[in-house]
Amino acid sequence: MLKKFKLVVVLGVMAFLTAFATSAQDEVIFTFGDFGNPVKLDAAVVTDGISFRVLRQGCDTLFGFEPGTTQPVPSLATSATANEEGTVWTLGLREGITFHDGTAFNAESIVWNFNRWRLTTHPQHFAEETFEYYEAQFGGFDDASIITNVEASSEYEVTFTLSAPMGAFLNNLAMPMFSIASPAAVEANGVDYGSPSVGYVCTGPFTFVSWESDVETVLARNENYWGEIPGNIDRVVIKQIPDNASRLAALQAGTIDALEGPNVEDIPSIEAAEDLYVDFRPSFNVFYLAFNYRILEFRDPLVRKAFSLAIDRQEIVDAYFASAVAANTFNPPSIAIGFNDSIETPFNPEEAKALLAEAGYPDGISEVTVLKLDAEGNVTDEVETTIPVQLYFMPVVRPYNPDGEGIGEVMVSYLQEIGVNAELASGGDWATYLGQRSNGELLGLYQLGWTGDNGDPDNFIGYFFSAADSPLAREGFYQNEAVASLLQQARNLTDPAERDALYQEAESLIAENSDRIFIAHGRVPLAFNSSVSGYITSPMGDEAFALVSVNR
Amino acid sequence: MGKFILRRLLETIPVIFGVSVIVFGLIRFIPGDPAVTILGERATAESIAALRERLGLERPLVEQYVIWVGNMVRGDLGRTIRGNLVLSNEIASRFPATIELSLVSLFLATILGVPIGILSAVKRNSWFDTSSMFLALLGVSIPIFVLGLLLIFFFGVYLGWLPFVGRIASSVALERTTGLFLIDSVISGNFVAFQNVLSHLVLPSITLMTIPLAIIARITRSSMLEVLNQDYIRTARSKGLAERFVINKHALRNALLPIITVIGLQLGTLLSGAVLTETIYSWPGIGKWLYDAILGRDYPIIQTVTLMIACIYVFANLSVDLLYSIIDPRVRNNS
Repeated sequence: MLKKFKLVVVLGVMAFLTAFATSAQDEVIFTFGDFGNPVKLDAAVVTDGISFRVLRQGCDTLFGFEPGTTQPVPSLATSATANEEGTVWTLGLREGITFHDGTAFNAESIVWNFNRWRLTTHPQHFAEETFEYYEAQFGGFDDASIITNVEASSEYEVTFTLSAPMGAFLNNLAMPMFSIASPAAVEANGVDYGSPSVGYVCTGPFTFVSWESDVETVLARNENYWGEIPGNIDRVVIKQIPDNASRLAALQAGTIDALEGPNVEDIPSIEAAEDLYVDFRPSFNVFYLAFNYRILEFRDPLVRKAFSLAIDRQEIVDAYFASAVAANTFNPPSIAIGFNDSIETPFNPEEAKALLAEAGYPDGISEVTVLKLDAEGNVTDEVETTIPVQLYFMPVVRPYNPDGEGIGEVMVSYLQEIGVNAELASGGDWATYLGQRSNGELLGLYQLGWTGDNGDPDNFIGYFFSAADSPLAREGFYQNEAVASLLQQARNLTDPAERDALYQEAESLIAENSDRIFIAHGRVPLAFNSSVSGYITSPMGDEAFALVSVNR
Repeated sequence: MGKFILRRLLETIPVIFGVSVIVFGLIRFIPGDPAVTILGERATAESIAALRERLGLERPLVEQYVIWVGNMVRGDLGRTIRGNLVLSNEIASRFPATIELSLVSLFLATILGVPIGILSAVKRNSWFDTSSMFLALLGVSIPIFVLGLLLIFFFGVYLGWLPFVGRIASSVALERTTGLFLIDSVISGNFVAFQNVLSHLVLPSITLMTIPLAIIARITRSSMLEVLNQDYIRTARSKGLAERFVINKHALRNALLPIITVIGLQLGTLLSGAVLTETIYSWPGIGKWLYDAILGRDYPIIQTVTLMIACIYVFANLSVDLLYSIIDPRVRNNS
């Protein structure tokens, strides 16, 4: 009797455990493990990479990026021509395309989308939303916008009028934030367009199926897609698995086919596994150490140069990054124009000590002087107080900074080697850290970085060093008028060769003065099941699943 | 009894009001601005000011509080700061997941913890007592993420027996009525879904139950030991009553009050402390969501969800008090 009972229990447990094996399915599913939940699937109002990963699969832009590069190429547009001044652009559009909801794509839909982003009076420029990227890339809204008019010159031709030439115009059009949505869908759903119950309605290779918050987003192959879909995927499932170790376990167990951002220490085991492989994105970011120019001592280029010579960038790269190159410049080597490969930032602690002595600190630096701010928030010559030399570490992991605190400790030890009695400081959690950085309150050296959005140097070096009118608290009260002038000239040119020369010159000036200490350009790792092929990594993380095939 | 319940219910009102004020105030007094967090590295002074204005953060604190409470009373929980999503929809999709996981974990912890505690007390200083109390100590000490990952790698990856991502497989359809998937699958008579949901619950609930199991077992043991030393137990035994009768009828009933208290408290702890378990098992509940909201200073989420957890905590305590009065009439009479 007891034996029978045991047998029943064992059979029951076995049946329970095996009942979940999924039956073989005909459709090809590509399951990507992501680390978070999209914020919203309305490209115009979000800024996070997780939302854009989903949107990129179903929403097209006028221009796109050549896979794996930062080079803009036609997408919904077929051609782009500018007048001699670079202020009027005429774009030809593809014909015969429909949005996922069946409505027609034409020049009017382009006008509608740009007006929605550009004009605060547009009924779908929702007051509750932040159209942050339009503001950042095109100078602002309404009268502040560099785009002053968008007009349908024919059914499939659209004309943009700009208030000034813009070198990065086509790169901007290729950004996923400027995906073209169905006007009818946005009008019908209002502020709920892009929410989990609505999703996106665009023209891309995958249509929106469902989005369950914190679980998964499901997309289906668009059989009516206007272009070619080289891969064999019928259905995309982007699963939210926030923990890095669990995400890797899911890849090992076959629950997902690919993931972004495995732990650095797990990469050797992934590379060693027969059924898995690792690939890296070309680096398109920079990790830097900024000086706060409210500190009197940091206004001396000799001191800054000494600090720069004290840091062994290669050692940091070797010890902390899965894959990275030591940085000599702000712009990364993978940028199309504006990379200056003649700049070197050596590690030389002896020369650093000599420079400190030359600057008047033969015994090193143990305290620094904080200068007062005036009523407008500008730095004055008056002394407010003295404080220890503090180095603030980033409290979050980023592709350009895998371990802020650990790297911070190493940086402090480098500075101590040359007689700078630095100490590691916490700027609180990320929200607090960003707030303090924004207000210029990180009084010392501080870690930060940047990942490029559109492949253009104006969105890289141009974003940080262009302040000509007054120093920005956000940039540690930094101002270099010569650099700013070069960057502003480059912004308004359209000839790539001319722009390249100006950006390189700006990098030389920054390096000459050691305005900032550039540490590394990190490469983001991705891991795949060996059944996955055709995945082309993008410098900006702008990867198209339409290129991917899964052959189990 | 009716008066007792009414009085206890009325007592919860000032508690919930106090919690709402504290939560609302605390989150605003910690450094970090939602506008800066949303705008990130790209923030400019102008864009921060404009966003603060849009989010209503420039209004006086009291006005913001009154608007929030007023809207809640009318059933409007508002929208999230990030994404501008309808908060009630977001809560509805996540809260049942946490409730289900917490209740299953508490159920397992109780049905295992109480008998283990009783047996340990009855067989005091035996091998069973020593080993179960050692395991209880281990249960309290082992970090959840270590245990969770060990279980995932052994049962999920190495043996491949159990799923460890989410609540239900993508391929399994389930009509959702309550959001509690076990109940939904029973209501719809969907046995495949029931099995699938149950299999997804195994590892997270084992992980989450370890601490409450250990606490319940230890409290049960000490409570039972105290009662077993009482004179009336000695009397019962000397009257020749069967040991099982002595334990169940006389000892356990008198030892139950602290056990029920601790079980009630564990529910609140489970609800608010499921962050790690939910993160490791990609469980789409409120734990990880609330954690991210705190980091992103998403005030509407933090305020509303914390208040909901506080309410559940308060009502769990109220239920415990009511159970007291049922188990021990002296509590009711004294009140």
